[in-house]
Amino acid sequence: MAAEMRLPTIQKQGSMSIYGKGRKDLVVPGDIITSDTGFMSAMIISCLVRLFSFPHKGHGTYVDEDKLTASVAGEVERVDKLICVKPLKTRFNGEVGDVVVGRITEVQQKRWKVETNSRLDSVLLLSAVNLPGGELRRRSAEDELTMREYLHEGDLISAEVQSVFSDGALSLHTRSLKYGKLGQGVLVQVSPSLIKRQKTHFHNLPCGASIILANNGFVWLYPTPEQQEEEHFIVSFLQYINCLMALAAHKVLLYDTSVLYCFESSLQHQVKDILKPEVMEEIVMLTQQKLLEQKG
Amino acid sequence: MMAAVEVSEAEKVYILHGIRDDLRVDGRGCEDYRHMEIETDVVSNTDGSAKVTLGHTVVLVGIKTEIGKPRPMVPNEGYLEFFVDCSANATPEFEGRGGEELGTELSNTLYRVFNNKHSIDLKRLCISPGEHCWVLYVDVLLLQCDGNLYDAMSIAIKAALFNTKIPKVFISSDDEGGKDIELSDDPYDCMRLNVENVPCIVTLCKVGHRHIVDATLQEKACSVASLIMSVTHKGTVTCTRKVGGGSLDPESIFEMTEAGKRVGKALHAPLMKLLEQEESLGKKQQKVGFFG
Amino acid sequence: MPTDTKRVRGPDVSQSPSLFVCQPADGVSPQGPRADGRRRDQVDVRPVFVRCGLVSQAKGSAYIEAGNTKLMCCVYGPRETERKDETDMKCGRLTTDMRFAPFSCPERGSWIQGSQEKDFSTMLQESLQPAVCLHKYPRSQIEVNMMVLENSGSVLAHAITCASLALADAGIEMYDLVLGCSLRQNGASYVADPTSAEENDRGPDQSRNQGSLTVAFLPSLNQISGLQSDGEMSEDTLTAGVRTCIEGCYKLYPLVQQVLSRCVSRAACAPPPR
Repeated sequence: MAAEMRLPTIQKQGSMSIYGKGRKDLVVPGDIITSDTGFMSAMIISCLVRLFSFPHKGHGTYVDEDKLTASVAGEVERVDKLICVKPLKTRFNGEVGDVVVGRITEVQQKRWKVETNSRLDSVLLLSAVNLPGGELRRRSAEDELTMREYLHEGDLISAEVQSVFSDGALSLHTRSLKYGKLGQGVLVQVSPSLIKRQKTHFHNLPCGASIILANNGFVWLYPTPEQQEEEHFIVSFLQYINCLMALAAHKVLLYDTSVLYCFESSLQHQVKDILKPEVMEEIVMLTQQKLLEQKG
Repeated sequence: MMAAVEVSEAEKVYILHGIRDDLRVDGRGCEDYRHMEIETDVVSNTDGSAKVTLGHTVVLVGIKTEIGKPRPMVPNEGYLEFFVDCSANATPEFEGRGGEELGTELSNTLYRVFNNKHSIDLKRLCISPGEHCWVLYVDVLLLQCDGNLYDAMSIAIKAALFNTKIPKVFISSDDEGGKDIELSDDPYDCMRLNVENVPCIVTLCKVGHRHIVDATLQEKACSVASLIMSVTHKGTVTCTRKVGGGSLDPESIFEMTEAGKRVGKALHAPLMKLLEQEESLGKKQQKVGFFG
Repeated sequence: MPTDTKRVRGPDVSQSPSLFVCQPADGVSPQGPRADGRRRDQVDVRPVFVRCGLVSQAKGSAYIEAGNTKLMCCVYGPRETERKDETDMKCGRLTTDMRFAPFSCPERGSWIQGSQEKDFSTMLQESLQPAVCLHKYPRSQIEVNMMVLENSGSVLAHAITCASLALADAGIEMYDLVLGCSLRQNGASYVADPTSAEENDRGPDQSRNQGSLTVAFLPSLNQISGLQSDGEMSEDTLTAGVRTCIEGCYKLYPLVQQVLSRCVSRAACAPPPR
């Protein structure tokens, strides 16, 4: 039994300032990004893109008296001549091919509604799932009636974005063996911008844990299937969870290497101590050092 | 009614198995609290205030003292009034009626917790019997909600009561026999409350065959019933209540009261030590406030 | 609203004269028999009068009388929920509303539901819910309305018993009946099923063990569905108190069973409605 109480301490903003201060590409709403007309044409391109209702991102900009102005706080991204502002804090803006983890919120006719941390609930069509009995099976009326048996309100699934509707809602599919209903495990929710885009978002980590770092910020941690349960399996599993929380609290990008390094740095501490602010800071510092070393 | 999260059956199984092995999702044991931070004197317009952070649950308590008329049943005592506000700030579910219901439930429990003679010496709050007394308005504000509101709230109240400074007053009678109340000019000349006997609440959640303290929202979703106990530093129980939609075996109730007494009793010493430490640091200590 | 200016109006806030009566210094003596002749430190509950089906309009109703404590309960439903936003697809809702008639207590109460009544309503709801098979009534709500006609102690405990009888009378599926029992601890001794005089008796100032306890109990499943205490009690006293209350509930059980079965048999014998 333990109840640890303490006075709050003022967090040092030092570690943040390396990235934060003096960077010109960070803007707040109303900041003028450029008045260079060369970029204007880029704006027009983006307008055209919008007109043809292609899936577009939140640009985060608007034109005010021939000046390109930011409408969200965030980082300026230039792709060729197109300027976007990527907000620091955002809901998930899905793109085709993104891996997501979501929770079923509603069972409707021929479709499930899925909460995926996006602006609107995503849709998983009955025709976009693999039902038992082969991929090419026709969906019958019975399948419609037994939808709730297959996926129930509250269940978690992993899926891929199949298409994006014009209003921004996502349509998902689970037509691959790696996707589908999630079994035992733990969900950790972080901001979608903390997930690094990678070739694969499914990773096997040491000590019998596997992880799905979904693009929408839902991180699913589960025991690696077909692996003998090791003795300290549960402890190291919990260690991973707390490492994820620590990394997210300090706004470190999440990908297999950062999670692994954080796990290694945290091994000297007891699992339950990891979430203490000072331990958390120490572990994250160590992780960042390791990441820098690896780069350099 | 309480802000709830959705948890799938598979996740529940995982949480249940962990608790069976005394290992919770964040690595704690069954009777461990999350990391707790306490700061008093955080709002300048109050006579006493405290902010408690327990995991992601944040509770702010402000105490205002006012002069009122004693209740006719007890003319020589002051009294405490509790109000709990669950604003939509904490979670959108509190918007509208949802927060109101929870707020009344919490404040009604607080009245019960303090419904005894020894928690606070109410006689000291009397100014002149039958005419004037101090009324302490204890206002609780939930700023963030991540489970275990009761415990966080009671600790914040104890800290805020410790911090409360009641101005000294004098009663002078004029020639015609009327009475006047004079407030002391010196702001440092004030009365402090003895909070030694103020109880702390322990919420025990029954999960599977075991019980846990300081449940997070996920863990709470796995539990059908919990027991709320307010325990003093001597281990006296001033209030118990079963909450939630399930029932409990008498034997498990006895196990839970035993554990609740042990855990609750142990909360007081570190809390008092911390409050005294903060007090001794005095004004030099820089306040952290709301964004630590 | 027009007011009669000629009339001398009383103060905005009036108070009952009984509030100003000085309490006897020693209260009720902690020794000897109780005012109504029952014994201390014994599970000596008041004889109870129970009847079902007194309100013909309601789906189910019950009346309970213990000493001067008189309660009436009506059950309406199950019917479709009014609050659509909180509708649970899998589970029904049980709502409780407990009110004190303004004349039920020595001091006049208000018609508006006070915070104490809300508190009682919540506790009644939490005590009943574990016993009702709510999963059999998806998307519907069952309303329990409780009226306290006369308050002479142990209101909540008897309200629980009365409500479970009314639910049974309404034909709502339940796992078990719910019975309630209260206890007042006063120093080393206790009184079961206290009257309101005994409930308000604060006793000598210094005694540490002093408080009230109410238990709601499912007798055939041996489960506690409601527990509520205040005052100051040591953990041992509390545990002993819970055991006493359970015993008190068992004493009520045969009677309640009998009343219900008689109610059912009467309905069975009655000619079918035209």
